[in-house]
Amino acid sequence: MRAFILRNVLQRLLLLFVVSILAHAVIHLAPGEPNAVDPSNPRMKPEDIAKIRAAFHLDEPLYAQYVWWMRDLLSGELKSFKDSQPVLGKIWRRFLNSLPLFVCATLLVWTLAFPTGIQAAVHRGAVYDRATTLAAYALISVPGFFLSYLVILWVVNTFGVPVIGLKTFGMERAAPLFQTMDRIWHLVIPSLMSALGGMAILSRYVRSQMLEVIGQDYVRTARAKGAAEDTVIYRHALRNALLPFVTMFGFLLPGLIGGSVIFEQIFAWPGLGRLGYEAILARDFPVILTLNFMAAALTLAGTFLSDVLYAVVDPRIRTGLQGDA
Amino acid sequence: MRQPPMPRGHAGAPGARRGDDLPPPETLWRESWRLFKRDRLAVLGACVLALLLVAALSGKALTEWVVVFDPAVVRLPEKFLPPLSFSSNAAVPPHDRPFGGVYLLGTDELGRDVFARMLQGSFVSLSIGFIAVGIALALGVVLGGLSGFYGNVKLGVVTVDTLIMRFTDVMLCFPTFFLILTVVALLPPSIYNIMVVIGLTGWMGTARFVRAEFLALRKQDFVLAATAIGAPDRRVIFSHMVPNAMAPVLVSATIGVATAILTESGLSFLGFGVQPPFATWGNILADGKGFIFDAPWLFFIPGFAIVMVVLAFNLVGEGLRESLNPKLRKR
Amino acid sequence: MNLKRWLLLTPLLLTVVLLQSYFWVPTYETQTTGNPQRLVTYVEASSGDAEILNPILNADTASSNIVGFVFEGLLDLDENLNLRGRVATDWTISETASLLIEPSGRFPDGAEITGARVVKRVRAALMEDAGIELAANIRTMDVAPPADTTHTIPVPAEEGSAASQQREVTLTFHAPERVVFSLRRVDQDFFRHLAPIIGDRYLAHFPYERYVEFHESAGPAVKARIFAQLPERFPVAEHNPVIDFRLRRGVRFHDGHALTARDVKFTYDAIMNPKNLSPRTADFEPIKRVDVIDDYTVRVVYKRLFSPAINAWTMGILPAHLLDAGAMETEMRARGVSDAVREAFGMRDSRFNRHPVGSGRFRFVEWQSDEFIHLRRNDDYWEGPAEYREYYMRIVPDLLTQEMEFRSGAVDYYGAQPHQVVRYKNDDAYQSFSNLGFGYTYIGYNNRRPLFADPDVRRALGMALNVEDFVTYILYGEGERITGPYPPNTQWYDPAVAPLPYDPDAARALLEAGGWRRNADGWLEKDGKIFEFTLITNSGNPIRKNIMTIAQNAWSKIGVKCHTQYFEWAVFLKDFINTAEFDAVVLGWSMGIDPDLYQLWHSSQTGPRQLNFVGYRNPRADDLMVRLRREYNSDAQRTLARRLHRLIADEQPYTFLYAPLSTRVLDKKIVLVHKRGDGSESYEKIYPIPSGDITFHFHQWRKLELTPDF
Repeated sequence: MRAFILRNVLQRLLLLFVVSILAHAVIHLAPGEPNAVDPSNPRMKPEDIAKIRAAFHLDEPLYAQYVWWMRDLLSGELKSFKDSQPVLGKIWRRFLNSLPLFVCATLLVWTLAFPTGIQAAVHRGAVYDRATTLAAYALISVPGFFLSYLVILWVVNTFGVPVIGLKTFGMERAAPLFQTMDRIWHLVIPSLMSALGGMAILSRYVRSQMLEVIGQDYVRTARAKGAAEDTVIYRHALRNALLPFVTMFGFLLPGLIGGSVIFEQIFAWPGLGRLGYEAILARDFPVILTLNFMAAALTLAGTFLSDVLYAVVDPRIRTGLQGDA
Repeated sequence: MRQPPMPRGHAGAPGARRGDDLPPPETLWRESWRLFKRDRLAVLGACVLALLLVAALSGKALTEWVVVFDPAVVRLPEKFLPPLSFSSNAAVPPHDRPFGGVYLLGTDELGRDVFARMLQGSFVSLSIGFIAVGIALALGVVLGGLSGFYGNVKLGVVTVDTLIMRFTDVMLCFPTFFLILTVVALLPPSIYNIMVVIGLTGWMGTARFVRAEFLALRKQDFVLAATAIGAPDRRVIFSHMVPNAMAPVLVSATIGVATAILTESGLSFLGFGVQPPFATWGNILADGKGFIFDAPWLFFIPGFAIVMVVLAFNLVGEGLRESLNPKLRKR
Repeated sequence: MNLKRWLLLTPLLLTVVLLQSYFWVPTYETQTTGNPQRLVTYVEASSGDAEILNPILNADTASSNIVGFVFEGLLDLDENLNLRGRVATDWTISETASLLIEPSGRFPDGAEITGARVVKRVRAALMEDAGIELAANIRTMDVAPPADTTHTIPVPAEEGSAASQQREVTLTFHAPERVVFSLRRVDQDFFRHLAPIIGDRYLAHFPYERYVEFHESAGPAVKARIFAQLPERFPVAEHNPVIDFRLRRGVRFHDGHALTARDVKFTYDAIMNPKNLSPRTADFEPIKRVDVIDDYTVRVVYKRLFSPAINAWTMGILPAHLLDAGAMETEMRARGVSDAVREAFGMRDSRFNRHPVGSGRFRFVEWQSDEFIHLRRNDDYWEGPAEYREYYMRIVPDLLTQEMEFRSGAVDYYGAQPHQVVRYKNDDAYQSFSNLGFGYTYIGYNNRRPLFADPDVRRALGMALNVEDFVTYILYGEGERITGPYPPNTQWYDPAVAPLPYDPDAARALLEAGGWRRNADGWLEKDGKIFEFTLITNSGNPIRKNIMTIAQNAWSKIGVKCHTQYFEWAVFLKDFINTAEFDAVVLGWSMGIDPDLYQLWHSSQTGPRQLNFVGYRNPRADDLMVRLRREYNSDAQRTLARRLHRLIADEQPYTFLYAPLSTRVLDKKIVLVHKRGDGSESYEKIYPIPSGDITFHFHQWRKLELTPDF
């Protein structure tokens, strides 16, 4: 087991290295300069621009820029082009903002997807199943921003309450309970919106997984033994169907960064996705690169976690029988 | 763009392999079609797609070759007309009038015919989906096939399989939408860039299951037999393995087109979508959101059109998955 | 079944907990009623976050908005766009003019020139009638002894020069004696008035080679290039405008420290410190030195005549005690930065930029990136505290959700787009304003292209466009047609210039006169080439997109084939504008309040990365622009500026389209509060000042609990 873990970790570190080189090359080879080197600023003279470029190491060869970036990143002194703030600090603050949204959305996805999926599997082919199938596909098919706008318009016009941002302003003197509830309310709609797609997909997945398991011999045996239908479904079938989902937890991590740009943009949520988006707009290379790097690291950590979980659950994997890494 | 990754090895999980007594291919397709027909939602989706295809092709024809609907004509006096309004003869010169004198879906902020724009957009949106998926599939099938068939060939110290699969892993490490956004934002905006970028970031899943499929097929009797009688690799691959590995590719292609259309609309929303003069449903929708109170049809028509089409693709994909899945069929 | 129960109960519970929070959230009404805190809080939404809250470093709108609240400059603009004192109470502008005395020079009558003789002859001339105007202006005349100064001068690069080339040279200038005139007011023609005394030709020929000594050997080519610079660097006749600012006593920074002349000088030094990479260096570059006379008097001496330079002092003053070398050292030590960082550590890295301390009406409280910036009023402000206690700038990137927040009462201000204004004008809950700003939109033609070289062609293209259509249909009437290069609400704009008429037939006739004939396909053709070009603009601006569409349409009607393309801003600048590789472009300018157009229109500014990218060249316009920036008298400036306006309007290097009105909507509950001496209050509807700004009286704004009925 230790060898398995060690080899996995080494492999992933190597991958991470390749990813970082690739990301660095892609971003620096693309045309365009960081906005701080603003060629449209009429007051800026070529000397000033050259000075800024030198300060950002932009006039050095690509590999040197890569080394600068890595050195600064690892020493924690990497600065944003845009505002000279330490990149890691920026990312940490945004991470704290993204976290509640992410947790809330994940909770919604995982708690709601299971009952709907199981019910659909149990009543395969019935009206409920077909209705949820259609609903799930409809949710997958709606552009997220389209649905969000519809919901925002409906809520604001019908209930007349603010929904954008983290909280309502001008309430600083209100009781703490009000303020907490206000913050929760501002969390509800964005997390629901970003959960819908995942919920639909996961519930479909639960359904097919359940269907697969229900057809297995031991379920048939349990049923034949005369166990109650609920016992059969929830004790025998579900337990076994759950296994693959354990490993899915690993894949949740990267969703923290990449998945939420559009929702954070609409709901003015100052999270990681928006940090990335604003950085792209400003061509703030250190931030873009570091975010990409972290997303890759999270993905790798996620796959690692799921591999380890898989190995724990299924010992065949460890002994080299796995199809791929 | 919102699909969470499936657990690894799912598509090619050992338990999901078909049995040893595989029926001949012809029967498989025919049987699948019979099963597909039973799924009413999927059939409905297929009908929508057929309609869409007709709309896209005729849209291309009618807006560019034989200009019946001209999406570019600006008629400022007739801007913001709601759907089904008539063009007034006084305000617009005869050659600028819409076909039949009626704006089926209204006009936009420049008095352009929304119906004509949607028609034109249907072709562009579809081609983005098809070309992006085409690129992704081509890459995925080739890389996955190479890896699955020639996986054991050594290139120096590493095998082809290791090389390709590690590269797949590298690509999987990037957060897809964020990567697409970065590349599209940094590159000069062009419809081809968007197609290519969506394609280049979408092949990894295909590559993985094609590889798994190939690995499994190689152990099948009919492949072993073909190899044993000395059939050349080319023949083994193209006449025995590819047709049998096609089913999941088809499913993922269908769903891939849906995803590509959604991705394009997401990019449009963020302002990095396809640039004019190309109208796509995505950018008509993104432009329309500014007029949601003043001309709601500019927002709702493209929005619901996208939902319909993406839904149709997804339903057809699901129908295909179910009908092509031998495990579900046996019951 | 336990598991089943849990599986059903958890989501149910979660949903209920989440949704019940709705009942605690205030609606539009309940936000103001019974919540006095909300009435003295102003919430504004901005699409982008601020970048850096430092008046000498910021370059974006959101930052400058906040910096404007927190910091205060020596001056600002009053209701009629004239300068008025803020941190400075008043100021005087005078001039020191000096003349280098070249001993081998001769007076017109052949006598040898010396400093003392110049003074004597000028004094003699002043006695006669001819010198009355001069006499009133000259305060003193002195002779300064010769002086040696050493300079390091960058060698201007030559095209295709090798990297190893010498970058700079050091030289000593052995300046001969000088006559220094102290003038009461700035006079750009001062030396011309002296011409009868010292001779016309004296000023033009100064033998620099006799007075310059190079420290290291330099090649003849390098020397030639250096000598070419010297007349500008060490002018024979030098104008040094001098501004004396008297500072207001009792102005304090938000931390209680008094603002003195030392802070003003520090601010200037910080801008010029190359480590800080300030984007304002160009504004302050004309300054020769800043002298602290006493705690409340600052003297600014300029290198040359450059009248717009005074506007730079509207920039906020930094607190020296928080940013000087000692303070930076303390900060570096507290943060424990490494040696590598320490070396490059400048003001840009300081945490001050995220926790600014100024002397303005509002003090900084908190900044959450991409969420909000919170300011609180400065009770210690010298003009008295503002009505609003709290100020929030929220960052809401999406315009539609900004509007939704505005309608739900969570934001007080909405920068409505033109097509939305009508809706708000008819709504009793809101007050809307449409006023001119300092920007305008134009179609610029690349004057270097043979196709557009002829002003008649440019005029014809302009006449084919119905600009009224642009204003009516694209801006929904929220714009004003313009005819020239100045914003129409400034005094530099000449209202007498008539706009180009909309006349496609005349346009076609004009082109036909230039040899363009319609071909079989209906396109104009000359010498076998059809009239065809590409009109480009940046992506992401729907209004420019629409302008292109309409222009393309209108031009096709007179047989001009126009292609349109959009590029992302960075690409657009880099590949097209900076390199001047375009045919025609739709763009806008956001102008300053000064009449200086040198960077935009002077023929010397047509190089790569310069702003006269359309390549407009006209010697008469060049001369006007140079005189304009040297003129300190505003009446004379107006005359010159209007002449320039007419000249440019006549040549049509751009088709000037319109100046958009900025359209804003406020909650109607926000009013102007007038306080009377007895403590009672009266309310007035918010109104824009003549220059169009509504926030001029922002310090008197407050929100009322109920909508007033005016």
